Amino acid sequence: MEENTPEKVCKPRVAPEAEKTQFEDEALEGLWELIEKNGENKVSPGLLNEEMGEPQASDLMAESGLITVTDGKVAFTESGRVRARDIIRRHRLAERLFADVLDLNNYEQDACRFEHAISSEVEEAICTLLGHPPTCPHGRPIPRGNCCRLYTRKITPLVSALSDSGVGGEFKVVFLRTPMIDRLASIGLVTGSTIKLLQKRPSYVLKIDETTIAIDEDVAKGIFVKENEGQKD
Amino acid sequence: MGCHGECKEDEKGAALKKIALIGNPNVGKSVIFGLLTGKYVTVSNYPGTTVEVSSGNVNIGGTRLLLVDTPGVNSLLPMSEDERVTRDILLSDRPSLVVQVGDSKNLKRTLVITAQLAEMGLPVVLTLNMEDEARDRGITVDKEGLSRELGIHVAGTVAPERKGIKELGQAILETPKKPALSVDYGPVLEEYASKIAGLLPKSGISRRSVSLMVLAGDESLKRWLKANMDDASIAALDAFREECVQKLGKSAGLVINEARLKKASQLVSVFMKKAPEEENRLMNFIAKISTHPVWGIPVLFAVLYGIYEFVGVFGAGVMVNFMEKVIFGQYLNPMFTAVIDKLIPVPIIQELLIGKYGVITMALTYSIAIVLPITATFFIAFAILEDSGYLPRLAVMSNRIFNVMGLSGKAVLPMVLGLGCGTMAVMTTRILESRRDRLIATFLLALAIPCSAQLGVILGMLASLSGRAMIIWVLTVLLILVAGGWLAARVLPGKRSEFFLEIPPFRRPQPSNVILKTMSRSVWYLKEAVPLFILGTLILFALDKLSLLVLIEKACRPVVVGLLGLPQQTTEAFIIGFLRRDYGAAGLFAMFQKGLMTPAQALVSLVTITVFIPCLASFFIIIKERGMKTAISMIAIITPLAIVIGAALNWFLSWSGFRV
Ligand SMILES: Nc1nc2c(ncn2[C@@H]2O[C@H](COP(=O)(O)OP(=O)(O)OP(=O)(O)O)[C@@H](O)[C@H]2O)c(=O)[nH]1
Ligand SMILES: [Mg+2]
Ligand SMILES: [Zn+2]
Ligand SMILES: [Zn+2]
Repeated sequence: MEENTPEKVCKPRVAPEAEKTQFEDEALEGLWELIEKNGENKVSPGLLNEEMGEPQASDLMAESGLITVTDGKVAFTESGRVRARDIIRRHRLAERLFADVLDLNNYEQDACRFEHAISSEVEEAICTLLGHPPTCPHGRPIPRGNCCRLYTRKITPLVSALSDSGVGGEFKVVFLRTPMIDRLASIGLVTGSTIKLLQKRPSYVLKIDETTIAIDEDVAKGIFVKENEGQKD
Repeated sequence: MGCHGECKEDEKGAALKKIALIGNPNVGKSVIFGLLTGKYVTVSNYPGTTVEVSSGNVNIGGTRLLLVDTPGVNSLLPMSEDERVTRDILLSDRPSLVVQVGDSKNLKRTLVITAQLAEMGLPVVLTLNMEDEARDRGITVDKEGLSRELGIHVAGTVAPERKGIKELGQAILETPKKPALSVDYGPVLEEYASKIAGLLPKSGISRRSVSLMVLAGDESLKRWLKANMDDASIAALDAFREECVQKLGKSAGLVINEARLKKASQLVSVFMKKAPEEENRLMNFIAKISTHPVWGIPVLFAVLYGIYEFVGVFGAGVMVNFMEKVIFGQYLNPMFTAVIDKLIPVPIIQELLIGKYGVITMALTYSIAIVLPITATFFIAFAILEDSGYLPRLAVMSNRIFNVMGLSGKAVLPMVLGLGCGTMAVMTTRILESRRDRLIATFLLALAIPCSAQLGVILGMLASLSGRAMIIWVLTVLLILVAGGWLAARVLPGKRSEFFLEIPPFRRPQPSNVILKTMSRSVWYLKEAVPLFILGTLILFALDKLSLLVLIEKACRPVVVGLLGLPQQTTEAFIIGFLRRDYGAAGLFAMFQKGLMTPAQALVSLVTITVFIPCLASFFIIIKERGMKTAISMIAIITPLAIVIGAALNWFLSWSGFRV
């Protein structure tokens, strides 16, 4: 797993009275991560309050009906769990998007903002674009969404590295992440080019217009492509 | 190869107008150069054949011009040494016209170069070559339309068939016109390009184009900037570049490239049409199996076997026999002996010409009767291989092995060329991306790549030994190469470059080019080798007359006889091997023919001479390309290593009781 920025709970926290929804989101996210870390489905309220930097956090959340306090421990209510799941999912998908596609290093802040900003349609589109990734860049599981369930049988990511694509296929280059980017550009291979993968072993051979080139697997791993429409199935 | 002595930097035709041939790699520039100047430069079917500039005179209807052939470029932002050579010509040489050679079937890449030439403000005549291949692929280009759009002459040629060459010649005489093709790089780049242009000195090309090179972060430009600008302006220029990159938020080079491609694509969509292609089934099939992970291997063996049969059996066997026994043995040597006996009754001179170490009986017999038939057959086989387009496919097959040696598959090209001639091969390392790669490749070339003559002699000897001897020799040499490369890669800092190589289509080798290339290489061989063969013979003769030879042989006895287990006389072969390895190998060959060596001794001597120091000519080229220090360190490593390896093999053979 690549370790860029260490994952942390989203901050800065907002005061509970200022932005109720956002506070709730952060608290749900915090509880999700605590539960994930401790391996039990409930934790002590003190932990959550400390995590949120707000001594009233557990009480406030219980008031909203998002968590319950039983036997001195807090756990999600059903509606709380569903909402927490969605936020975590969006946060981690955002991390994948920023880390893999945009090749950013310091993306935590943006992931935190992103998680509140996107609709479920956008979320599914991103998930599909990334090929329904199972984990975030830190190795934590991304909760599955509807789109992922539809694809459980046939997980063909919309965008994949050329090294994960089939021989004989025709692809459109979506983005490039390789030090060879200038060389590739000099023979006309840039974002948006159509390429045909002729073989993978013993070296990768691909064709772009009337030019055939051979490259290493390492370079092929940095060429991200989408199968050309009308070519599939 | 074929370049020796012809690539004299410049025939100072002082007042002649200079015209540069520019274009993508492997599009036919050198064929066109040959047709226009009547001077042969190497033409082969892989990118990177031409790595050095050559020039020649052209006479078109009474007008004399100087034409310059250059290494192919994919971008005038150079990414390797050979590309830099071309860019530097445009930068410093001020050609009065550029003849751009393009590939008709790859119009987009052609126009990307045209756009850069336009940006430089150079007048251009464009010729779209390879019209035959474009036609087979169903591609047609509207040349008239393109010519009107660009405002320059756009010709069409099929160079190997001389089609369109006359018209191209006429077009060169027309008033030079600059192409109207400008690319907009967006507000940020344009702003900084003009800011930087304000700082630049005058050069052969427009300031705007140099500014864009600066913005793209072209390292190779540094030297030129240093030579032409003061430090303060360079610092100002760097500051602008930094600022621009900050504002742009991405690589300027990439943005520039993409903008050019976009412009080229627009033109392509207007002026090029593509109909369904007629498939050439046979060529497609050959292309497919030659790089197939499984079938590629038998194909490789078939190729090697073909070369072995032609060079080892036919060249070194049949042809050498004929030349040595019949031509020299029955006619020339007896004739010379008779004539010299009569005409020059001075014994010492007689001996110098026809004695044991005689110029005719030894130098000429070795070079012309033994080595020439072998090299000539090898050159033929090699030319066919080069022209077919198999070599880049070999790179695809062997990339992994080269990775072990710290190189990428692209290094196959200089390595295989090294089998032809080490000199040209060292120059071809220019196509490799990094200094480190070039150094490793040069080292391996000097270490254990036998040149054609040597290889042929060795193949000939091995052919008459046994299959096992052949296998041992091949394995030992491969082992030395892999181990040598592996170690060098460990010692040298840096990471190997990633593999990236353009694969040309398979083409039917042109008999005329094969013959011309073989002739020019054979002539070069004779010119370069025969004088050294004669020199070597004279040295042996003198040493012998002064009774020093016996002394030297005695002195070398512990090594030659003791360590290597060879007959004392092989010392002679090693002495002349210092001048040329192939001469040494020919000496071994002659001894072996006379039955002076056992098969095991023959094998040990062959392995030793293979690793032995590179010939004088390659040594000079290594000094030129890599510097004196590197060259001397290489010799200092390789010569003792040759003896150690020979000794190890000798010890192994006698210890294991292996029957060769
Ligand atoms: N079919 C066809 N082949 C051609 C034509 N022109 C050149 N060739 C072949 O293309 C190959 C490359 O030709 P060269 O002249 O060496 O190309 P170059 O542009 O000098 O190449 P570099 O020096 O490597 O940049 C050779 O095998 C030629 O025989 C053409 O018009 N039609
Ligand atoms: Mg050339
Ligand atoms: Zn994460
Ligand atoms: Zn999904």
